[in-house]
Order: sequence, then C-alpha cells, then structure tokens
Amino acid sequence: MNNGCLENRKKEHDNSQKRPKSYKFGSRSDDFALAIAKVAVAQLCESVGFQGFHLSALETLSDISVRYIYSIGKTANLSANLAGRVEGNVFDIIHGLEDLGSNLGFSGASDVDRCVVSSGVVKDITHFVGVSDFIPFAYDVPGFPVVKESTKTGSFWEKGEDPPGEHIPSWLPAFPDPETYATRLSVENETMGVSNGKKTESELERVERNMDRSLLNLQLRFAHNENKGGSSHGSGYVATESNPYLAAPLHVGEKEVSSVILPTKLSNEVALRNPVHVDVGNHVSVLETFAPAIEAMKSGLCDSDNVKKKLLYDQRPTVRFKIGIGKKSLGTMSDLNSQNEEDLLKIASWFGNDNEKDDKKR
Amino acid sequence: MNHNRQSNDGNHDDDSALSDFLASLMDYTPTIPDELVEHYLAKSGFQCPDVRLIRLVAVATQKFVAEVANDALQHCKARQAAVVKDKREKQQKDKRLILTMDDLSKSLREYGVNVKQQEYFADSPSTGIDPATRDE
Repeated sequence: MNNGCLENRKKEHDNSQKRPKSYKFGSRSDDFALAIAKVAVAQLCESVGFQGFHLSALETLSDISVRYIYSIGKTANLSANLAGRVEGNVFDIIHGLEDLGSNLGFSGASDVDRCVVSSGVVKDITHFVGVSDFIPFAYDVPGFPVVKESTKTGSFWEKGEDPPGEHIPSWLPAFPDPETYATRLSVENETMGVSNGKKTESELERVERNMDRSLLNLQLRFAHNENKGGSSHGSGYVATESNPYLAAPLHVGEKEVSSVILPTKLSNEVALRNPVHVDVGNHVSVLETFAPAIEAMKSGLCDSDNVKKKLLYDQRPTVRFKIGIGKKSLGTMSDLNSQNEEDLLKIASWFGNDNEKDDKKR
Repeated sequence: MNHNRQSNDGNHDDDSALSDFLASLMDYTPTIPDELVEHYLAKSGFQCPDVRLIRLVAVATQKFVAEVANDALQHCKARQAAVVKDKREKQQKDKRLILTMDDLSKSLREYGVNVKQQEYFADSPSTGIDPATRDE
C-alpha cells in the first residue's frame, strides 16, 4: 500500500487507526503510543528524503524505534540498580546507548580507560543535533496514560463514624445508611430493579421479594387463562401477544381457509390401498367409505387434510372390498341414491381424471 | 600527577561539554515527543525526574531512526539506478522514493535487527520482481 506525501499520510492517519484485518494479535495495549510513534517516524523519514512509505515498512520501523527506547530504558535501569540506585542518571543512559551502539561501534569504543562522560556516543549525538534540522512533532500529545482518580473508599474513619461493634476495624468501608435498605419495596418497582441498587438486603427481604414475584407471576397466569377460556398459554403470555410466530396453533375449524381440491395422486393411493374389486352386492360399503368425504363437502369445512387422513385411516384393512375403476361401477352406484348425486359426480370426476391420466400414459 | 591533572582537566572539559549539551537539548525539541519516550521508559522501569535525560533518549532514538532511514534510502536509490540502466523509460516515472520492506530489512540487518518477510507464491512469474517500480 502506497501512501502519498506526508500531508496525505496525516489525513489518513485518523482513518488508518483501525487495525487491518490481517493483524493476528488484535489490539495491543500500547496502540496509542504506537500510533504516535508512527507519525514521528514518518516525519523523520520524510526529512531524510522519502516521499512515500509502505504501511508495513512504516509499522515495522516504528515498532523497532519503540523497542529501541524500551531497551535503552531497560539497560539504564539495570545499570542504576547495579549501582544501588532506584533512579537513573545520565551515566546509566550513556551506558545503555553504548550497549546498543556496540554493534556498529562508536569512536573510542576500544579504549580501555575511556570515561563515560567523554563517550563517543555522546559526541555522535551532539554532532547529530548540530547537523539535523529542527522538525517538531506534528500533533499535540497529551500526557498519557491518564491516571484515574481513585475513588474514596469512605471508610468509617473517614466518615467519622464509629463502627457498630468492636470487631469491625475503622479502616473498612462504612455501612450504607439504613434508609436505603430497610424499607419494603413495592411490587411495581421490582421489575425496574431495586431502586437503590444496593445489595444490602438481608436474607429475609430477599426471600420475601422472591415470593412476591412468584405470586405475581401466578396471578398473571390465572388471569390470562380466564381470558383465553381455558387454553394454557401461561408462560408465553407476553410473547404471544407480540410475536405471531409464537402464537398457539389453530385447531381444525377455527379459521376458514380456501378449499383444496383433492389431487388425483391421492385418489390413486386410495384406489391402490384397496386393489380388490367391488362385488356388486357390496356397493353400499363403498358409499360408506366415502361418507366422510361427502360429509365434509356437504358441511363446507374444507380442511381437506383431516378428511384425507380420515379417509385413509378409515380404509385401513379390516374392510376389504373391490372397487372397480371404470364407469360400470359408477353406474351401479348412481342407481342407489339420487340424493348424493352431486357428490357421486364429484367422486366420478376423481376417477374420470384417473382414466384420462391412464389414457395419456398409454 | 601531571597525568592526573590533565585527566582531571579533561574530565572537567568533558563534564562541561556534557552538561552544555544537555542544556542545549532543552532548546532543541526532538521530533519524537517527550510523552512517548516517557511512556516507554516508564514501561521498562527506568525512573528519572530529569527532563533532559528524556530528551537525550529521544534524540538518540531520532538519530537511530534517521540512520536506518538513510541507509534504506541509499538502497532505494541504488536499486533505481540499477533499473534505469536497463530501462531508460522508467527514469521519469520512478522519481518517487518509497520506503519498502525490502530496503528496510536490508538496512536493519546491519544494525543487528533481522526483519524477514515470509515468501509468498504469486500468480504469475512477473509478480514481485521490482516492487519499487510497481505502482500499487
């Protein structure tokens, strides 16, 4: 990724604060400091002569520069501790710089009796300061990390109260005022949470509150059941009102739906289940088997699924008879009962369709 | 004795040079902000109330980064010069100097820092031949 000149870099600085998705380790604890380091390093690179950076290269260099600072500090701290001091001084830092600069070497590194004060490292730095341009940092950096103000513990001693009982030392936090927990909370406030938000209830209070809550739930359930007329939807009371998908399923006949024409495939199944032929003498029983279908069509309830199921279930094997497929058998049926003519015609249509299908197959 | 006196004088000179230098640091504000340096020094355990020492560390880091960047710049320029020898067309295109991982790793190696990127497999043979001359 190429970033343009430094002006673009500064504009994108805020935008590029979000970590790239390929970063495996997530956000580090010193993200803010690293961002500042990136800007500083970018400024330095621009002063050297670069006109653009690869983001990975910039991140790497800023990470290394931060580690450089860190290692100077560590070495300086080590030499201070070795000398029996807690705070470092300039000699510790020069020791640290010499350690880090020993790779490339500095003037006077090989001298046996060199003094820290006249170290070549310091001379190099002095020279550098004399030569380099003055480049101020681009942003105003606040002091970080921000120190959080510690909240006062509010001990007995601070409040000036006497702890109740000799066993309680005065440096412990004081008890809250009795008014905050002694009063009984009303039922309406329960759902809003304890009004004072304190965990100072005694066990008795808590048990009583739970009992009240459960009683309330029970009352709600009974009230709802009365409204619904006996259907048990206690637990989903609130949910059923708002969410239609959680509503109770409808029973057969509750809601009018459009009629479904029984498909020919199903009538085929009906025929197949009873492959034997109807004897002429038993034609009455055929009507009886189709009686549920007839009744369903008569009454107008069109929950054909149930009717179909009843049809199938009723025709389970104890009754065996033969059904002839073809108009001959229908002819005999039509002689029987003129009242059911319409229904018979309908039934005939099923078989009629059947015949047509067979013809097409042939 | 004489030697000691001379060394003492020398030390005095060095001391004064050092103290002068530290005093001059207060006039010169380094590019790396003080707060950043303080944060990382505190992280490493180095405690110091003196601001001049923090400036000293900041200036030392600035010098280090400038040297590394300078070496990377030399590498970049050398690469561009090599390319220009082969193809004169690119001379006008690639006047931009861009800090790349390649140049940076080469310059950091001299400082004892090993920065190596993992090799990756590219789609075509021409990918990645000259990253500096390729506009991304």
